Amino acid sequence: MKKSLFVLLAVLVVFAFPAVAQGGKESASPKIGFIGPMTGDNANYGVLSNNSAMLAVEQFNARGGIDGKIPVVLVTEDSEGVAEKGLSAIEKLSSSDKIVGLVGPVFTGVSFAVGERVQNEGIVMLSPSATHADITNIGDYVFRTVVSDGLQGEVAGTYFANVLGYKTIGVLYAKNDYSQGLYEGMSASFVANGGTITIAESFNVGDKDFKTQLTKIRSANPQAIYIPNYTAEMAQILEQASQLGMRIPFLSCDGFSNPDIYNLAGDFTDGVIYVGPAKVKESPSFAKFVADYTSKYGVGPDSFATNAFDGTNILLAAMDKVYKATGKFDRKAVRDEVAATKDYAGVSGTINFAENGDLIAYQGLYKVNKITPEYLGTFTVVDGQLVQID
Amino acid sequence: MGIAEFFQHLMNGLTLGGIYALIALGYTMVYGILKFINFAHGDVLMAGAFIGLFVFDWLRGSAPLGAWTIIAFFLAMVVSMAVSALLGMFIERVAYKPLRTATRLAPLLSAIGVSFILSNGAAWAFGTRSRKFNYPFDNTPITIAQVVITPHQILILAVSLVMMIALKLFVDRTRMGKAMRATSLDQPTAMLMGVNVNKVISMTFAIGSALAAVGGILIALDFKVYASMGTMTGLKAFVAAVVGGIGNISGAMFGGILLGVLETFGVAIFGIPTGLKDTIAFGVLILILLIRPEGLLGKVEKEKV
Repeated sequence: MKKSLFVLLAVLVVFAFPAVAQGGKESASPKIGFIGPMTGDNANYGVLSNNSAMLAVEQFNARGGIDGKIPVVLVTEDSEGVAEKGLSAIEKLSSSDKIVGLVGPVFTGVSFAVGERVQNEGIVMLSPSATHADITNIGDYVFRTVVSDGLQGEVAGTYFANVLGYKTIGVLYAKNDYSQGLYEGMSASFVANGGTITIAESFNVGDKDFKTQLTKIRSANPQAIYIPNYTAEMAQILEQASQLGMRIPFLSCDGFSNPDIYNLAGDFTDGVIYVGPAKVKESPSFAKFVADYTSKYGVGPDSFATNAFDGTNILLAAMDKVYKATGKFDRKAVRDEVAATKDYAGVSGTINFAENGDLIAYQGLYKVNKITPEYLGTFTVVDGQLVQID
Repeated sequence: MGIAEFFQHLMNGLTLGGIYALIALGYTMVYGILKFINFAHGDVLMAGAFIGLFVFDWLRGSAPLGAWTIIAFFLAMVVSMAVSALLGMFIERVAYKPLRTATRLAPLLSAIGVSFILSNGAAWAFGTRSRKFNYPFDNTPITIAQVVITPHQILILAVSLVMMIALKLFVDRTRMGKAMRATSLDQPTAMLMGVNVNKVISMTFAIGSALAAVGGILIALDFKVYASMGTMTGLKAFVAAVVGGIGNISGAMFGGILLGVLETFGVAIFGIPTGLKDTIAFGVLILILLIRPEGLLGKVEKEKV
């Protein structure tokens, strides 16, 4: 009897302590979350963007934090790029870490799942890279600091048709939301501008052999092939196309702006034209961000990481404003503050959100020379017409 | 579809099939002797690919493509075969031998356990990102009458063929091969006749694992090296072994090639959606089990290993 009482007591003590410790810490430092693939084939996307979030929080805290006195804590969760893992990540961040806002998720598929959750829980979310046109339609708590595929697809389709002058394009896309969304967006505007999609082949995520699809595409003989995918697949596709002796030009999407493609595919990237982020005028803030980032992590940021830096800073600024006005971190108030962002001078350029949470934006076009992307110009589409900004 | 496209698909299918065949040999040899399916075989293949990658990168250093890289590649292959053979023997000794007298289900479950340990262990030790296995030679494709063939594809076909013929000769012509055939036919009797059955079984695992390592390295050149690379390839090779007639060496070769060609043609010619590519192999498996469970070559040859 005595012994069991002792055991009970011991258990109580063990459980009580962390609860006290956590309770005390929580009121001191508000937490924000990050969700992205930190392991797996696509870990590079998550790691680069998470670096940005860490850097932004570190710099913010070094300046004094919220109201000059409260540091913010960043909690990173690994999604492995899989929706189920993303759901358990947001579960933990929301209920156990009690985050005020979320940077991420990195992938479109994960963002669809996590977006529904943050909308229900009332947590503001800023994805640096979920580009599917429908992401922001989930609800008013979902924002992004990346251009919607709607625009990317439109710019791609009109540019391929009107500037590059292609009449026929073949497509090799992956069966995921990101890839399929880009393919559909591009083909809609390409067809509207008089082009024809001669063949559209697909594959499952994780496939390594694309020779069958490429052989079929080669027989359909399009003028160019559009491959809106992630780096691991694009590297395989480019290499195998060369093994099949295909000399057709390749066109791609913002996934190509991740430098990992040059490690995986090497020289096969030569000549690829892709739609990516619009280049910011060499602003001092951008140069400083790249320098800070590179000196800290030893690698440069990709475009998504640049977006993640801006997203984190917008979230932190909103939290700061809300705290100064009310003395607490109300999730709804933080969301409203994010939505009210006006002409925010981010490192990726001036940021404004449209009514639905989309970034108001432009697109850049790049052409790869061996393994170096060269900038072709900044474009947007207004009323179906391609407009070059500079 | 033009003639050229047909032959292109055929070429792609043959090389895919060559690899399946090479790996199927390992399944079939073990099954022939122990009547048990070694589900860890695909993961030994993965281990072989990693070993090959490390040895090759270490030997090569930063040397440009040339005679040395080709020598380094084959050296790496030999080292990988040797280490994988030891790994195979070790797995047999630790996880299967103690269960030889247990129910038939026990070693099968043990094999699935070994498979998970190997693939998760590799993911933990080497990470889950794909690693590039650089070609040791210039892989610029050659065009023959509009059909494009890469030196890598020729290598796959050549190595698979050499390995299969060597194995067939070994089993048919050597003393050890004879002992294997005897063990396969009737273990207790073979033992009474003075065959060292334990040694024969160890040898079987060693050869099967060495062949898996070769398959792993050949695949890695095209599809990169990663911890889960053995899973699907292993399953497909297993199907190939069953289709050809499990326990039968010629059957494994035939089944492998047939499966590779069927997969490619299924999508390219018969219009099966690309997303269902992997289901072709398993569809064929069910069909064979229903119509001819002994496999296509199951009864043609009595010889078993």
